[in-house]
Amino acid sequence: MLANTVVKQSALPGILGSSSVLAPRGGERTKKTGSADLLLTALIDAFSILVIFLLMSFSSTGELLVVGKGQELPKAARADMLERFPLVKIDEGRYFVEEREVSSDGLVAELLSLREKWREMHPGEEFPGVLTIQADRRVKYEIMNSVVLASSQAGFSEIKFAVVMK
Amino acid sequence: MRKHKHLDFEINLIPCIDLLSTCICFLLLTAVWLHVGAMNVKQAVGGQPAEETAKKPLVWVNMGATGELTLDVQETGRVPVKLRKIKITGRDGKPNHADLATTVQELRGLEPSLATALIQPTGVSAYEDIIEIMDTFKKEGLIDLGVAPL
Repeated sequence: MLANTVVKQSALPGILGSSSVLAPRGGERTKKTGSADLLLTALIDAFSILVIFLLMSFSSTGELLVVGKGQELPKAARADMLERFPLVKIDEGRYFVEEREVSSDGLVAELLSLREKWREMHPGEEFPGVLTIQADRRVKYEIMNSVVLASSQAGFSEIKFAVVMK
Repeated sequence: MRKHKHLDFEINLIPCIDLLSTCICFLLLTAVWLHVGAMNVKQAVGGQPAEETAKKPLVWVNMGATGELTLDVQETGRVPVKLRKIKITGRDGKPNHADLATTVQELRGLEPSLATALIQPTGVSAYEDIIEIMDTFKKEGLIDLGVAPL
């Protein structure tokens, strides 16, 4: 088949042709096949290392926050695991409650409406009152203060500041 | 003559490669490169009378505009009066976290039940400085943290 093909002309003999991993008895082979041998063990080793590395960095929770371009979260070593709770994002001095832009004066009303929605969806259950705040590390506290105040006024007793784990 | 059976056997590596490639593709697509965590803070929402609240040792941390920190230890009988108000000067306009950690260690040595810290930032305090102070407190065992509004 390979007699007159380009493959025949360009095929190189394997580097370790006589000890191919695909054929452990390759040493016994004397007949030249005309095709290049691939050392597959090395490939499988590399793949296995990749799989182990990716499995170690695998997160079953997925990405709960979308960190925008130019936004850097502060770093912390003793942070807890992030869970899905109502999110208030501060981006370039603007406030977003669950991706909806609101003014600083409208924060309390928006958080109260979130609370009401939660009560309608979970009748008879106690309101957890947890809020996640996502902001750039360089943001001044005077900008964050509106969210901290609004959360207290709307009955959110626990704030989770989003950070990058060190 | 009985023919000798070969003890060597060949493993078909192609399915292994297929499986590993599929795994790598899936893991690469679902990989989370930025590990986001949360720094938990308890906020007072009112409703409970002050006299009903159990008195626990706590430390107030006032952040200055140039990185200085003032620690004010309250509701404690074990910490000497002269150590109840401590000022930690800043370094390059930022809080000195090494000195803060040492001070908190000393305070925890005198008052082991000290586990609450309330941070009072100024309007110009950077968010990362507040988080770093919280992180230092957590490392030293102050686990109940709060941030006071302006």
